Amino acid sequence: MSLEPRVLDPPEQATLAALAEHLIPAAHGMPSAGVVIDERRLRFVLGARPDLLEALRAGMRPDLPADPAARLIVLERDEPETLSKLLLVIVGAYYTDRLVRDQLGYPGQQAITIQSWKYPQYLEEGLIDQVLARGPIWRDPTTGRTAIEDRPRTLTTDTHEIGRPR
Amino acid sequence: MATEPADVLIIGAGASGGVVARRLSEAGFRVVCLEQGDWHDKSEYRGPELDWELTMRKQWSTSPNVRGLPQDYPIDETDAEISPLMYSAVGGSMLIFAGAWPRMLPSDFRVRSLDGIADDWPIDYHELRPYYERTDREFGVSGMGGDPAYPVGGEDPPLPPLPIGAGGLKVARAHARLGWHWWPEPNSILSVPYDGRRPCVQRGTCQQGCNEGAKASTDLTHWPKAIAAGARLVTGARVRRLETDATGLVTGATWLDREGQEHFEPAKVVVLAANAIGTPRLLLLSASPAHRDGLANSSGLVGRRLMMHPFANVGGLFDENLESWQGQFGCSIESFEFYETDERRGFVRGAKWGLAPTFGPINAALPSRAGTQVWGADHHLHVRSHLGRGANWGIFGEDLPDEGNQVTLSGTLTDGSGIPAPEVHYKVSENSRRLLDFHIEKASESLLEAGARTVEVDRLMRYSGWHLLGTARMGDDPKTSVLDRWNRAHDVPNLYVVDGSCFVTSAGVNPTSSIVALALRAADHMVETRFDQQVPV
Ligand SMILES: Cc1cc2nc3c(=O)[nH]c(=O)nc-3n(C[C@H](O)[C@H](O)[C@H](O)COP(=O)(O)OP(=O)(O)OC[C@H]3O[C@@H](n4cnc5c(N)ncnc54)[C@H](O)[C@@H]3O)c2cc1C
Ligand code: SF4
Repeated sequence: MSLEPRVLDPPEQATLAALAEHLIPAAHGMPSAGVVIDERRLRFVLGARPDLLEALRAGMRPDLPADPAARLIVLERDEPETLSKLLLVIVGAYYTDRLVRDQLGYPGQQAITIQSWKYPQYLEEGLIDQVLARGPIWRDPTTGRTAIEDRPRTLTTDTHEIGRPR
Repeated sequence: MATEPADVLIIGAGASGGVVARRLSEAGFRVVCLEQGDWHDKSEYRGPELDWELTMRKQWSTSPNVRGLPQDYPIDETDAEISPLMYSAVGGSMLIFAGAWPRMLPSDFRVRSLDGIADDWPIDYHELRPYYERTDREFGVSGMGGDPAYPVGGEDPPLPPLPIGAGGLKVARAHARLGWHWWPEPNSILSVPYDGRRPCVQRGTCQQGCNEGAKASTDLTHWPKAIAAGARLVTGARVRRLETDATGLVTGATWLDREGQEHFEPAKVVVLAANAIGTPRLLLLSASPAHRDGLANSSGLVGRRLMMHPFANVGGLFDENLESWQGQFGCSIESFEFYETDERRGFVRGAKWGLAPTFGPINAALPSRAGTQVWGADHHLHVRSHLGRGANWGIFGEDLPDEGNQVTLSGTLTDGSGIPAPEVHYKVSENSRRLLDFHIEKASESLLEAGARTVEVDRLMRYSGWHLLGTARMGDDPKTSVLDRWNRAHDVPNLYVVDGSCFVTSAGVNPTSSIVALALRAADHMVETRFDQQVPV
């Protein structure tokens, strides 16, 4: 067990859980944020964003309505800045949970090798040829009109050599 | 402390500063650069970490006011409809830029002649093209040659195009059906290994720094070479003002180190590369009895004509998972279909569209930029319908110059060194509003044709001042411009401004390829005229 003081005391933690549950309840195969957001998740968010602690505490004040929906209405009306930070804490804590991400099918920002040797699908489908066939679209400053070119543009050899450094 | 004056003192180690430093030091100039920020290591960027979407909203925010780091200066933006965005470091704002690298079009240089508004540039597309080609090689640009939105000829981008992703392919097919232009976006992001750097891994976190070093920034592409050629780069050096002598030449810069200690760096020539907010700020800070309205400001235009490209985001939501959280943030594809003026639309000029990825689950869950928020049981449906299922057209509308849109000095706000902060005054013009309305409608049509179930629109994004331009424009007439056609101040023959301040008009494209091409052109001119350069005695 950690000896560090808890981020929130038990009443504050209960308020947060109710608020989180209200905003992101268990539904559609996803767990409730009230359950997911534990001390560890809060510490993670505040470790990354220590500046959010103040708003989190402010949003848990006992003088605000106990009912989560009423609390959100008061915060939105009187302290929109606190509310937007509080939402970030809740959303940040929920969506950085491994299980939540797995259930969403979101693996995180991954490193994907570019297959630059592959002939792109858009060339395969002739999509570039169609753009070229429509001719130039730039406005020629000498005439003020769309440029006219002597020869139609076609894919250059270079363009076909996509995937090879030129 | 240097006592021997540098041949050239550069202020700002960002995009333009890096290009000029490399060119001049390789040509044998003794170059010194003062940069208020620091070096960053690739390992500091949070892209691969679980906290990426949390830290991007604070420590790695694109706004200096949100970050509030000691090396940033704050900006008073209470009178601005768009917030200016930037980063202070070696590499400058390129550290967090997206990497989209389109060029300006020929008509962009002739707005007055063609459309009867704003001003023509003193140079044209063809004059700049060789510099675009050189900077494309220096930075490592991936793309496909032959785009019919540009004149034929010249070099293709040096590297093959980046993938366009599942969303890009859907939209490209839609444009084929609509008969509209599209093209793989050129990006200063490597598609293959190049110049000792690794290729992009499609992580999609480019605006919080590139962990691979695949996205170009001058800390990777220029400064190591400049330093190897003898340039001296001082970090944590915040310039407070430029000094001048009795003849009106600039003699160097007074700057403060991290401990607040004041220094003077003497120089024969000074080059400002502090971006279109930082540069006018410094020129105004350099006022003296001889230059009461600021240095190089006999035209009264220093700080005026700020352009920031009012921006709209048009997001299409698709039924299938496109994994749209991945892919270069630069852009996958672009469209110039509605770029050129058609007065029947009720406005002049146009916009480039760039298709971008869509972030991760925290972004999908929070109230969206388009204003939607869903809580309760349906929250899960909302997140599932957004995460990975989007394709965003970013609309970069041409911003027309307006002398009322300007940078001044704050009378109350200062940076951490006690130097007055810039105050930005900026209103979105009626032309821009109409332009955005039209383009939003057309971009929505594009996404719906591509199969989007619905389209969400952020009409005018506040945090979209990525492109800072125009606050010390170039021109042939000293009465109506701050710089000459070579980026030299009309009033001060040994002072150059090479950042986006020099822009006459903004064009409707991301500007950095043009900023660095212009900077290289100015540096070439400094090399060619080195023996005629007037310097303080
Ligand atoms: C989030 C974001 C995304 C972007 N995406 C794109 C894109 O996809 N494509 C594109 O073309 N452009 C993009 N841009 C814009 C691009 O980053 C800039 O156009 C480019 O970096 C400008 O180069 P610069 O040399 O003018 O200034 P910067 O790169 O901003 O460099 C200026 C440097 O000067 C330093 N400085 C300022 N004042 C002082 C002082 N008093 N003393 C010492 N040092 C000082 C600063 O610390 C900074 O390092 C983006 C910008 C942002 C913020
Ligand atoms: S998508 Fe590519 S360029 Fe962008 S951060 Fe990832 S590796 Fe770098």
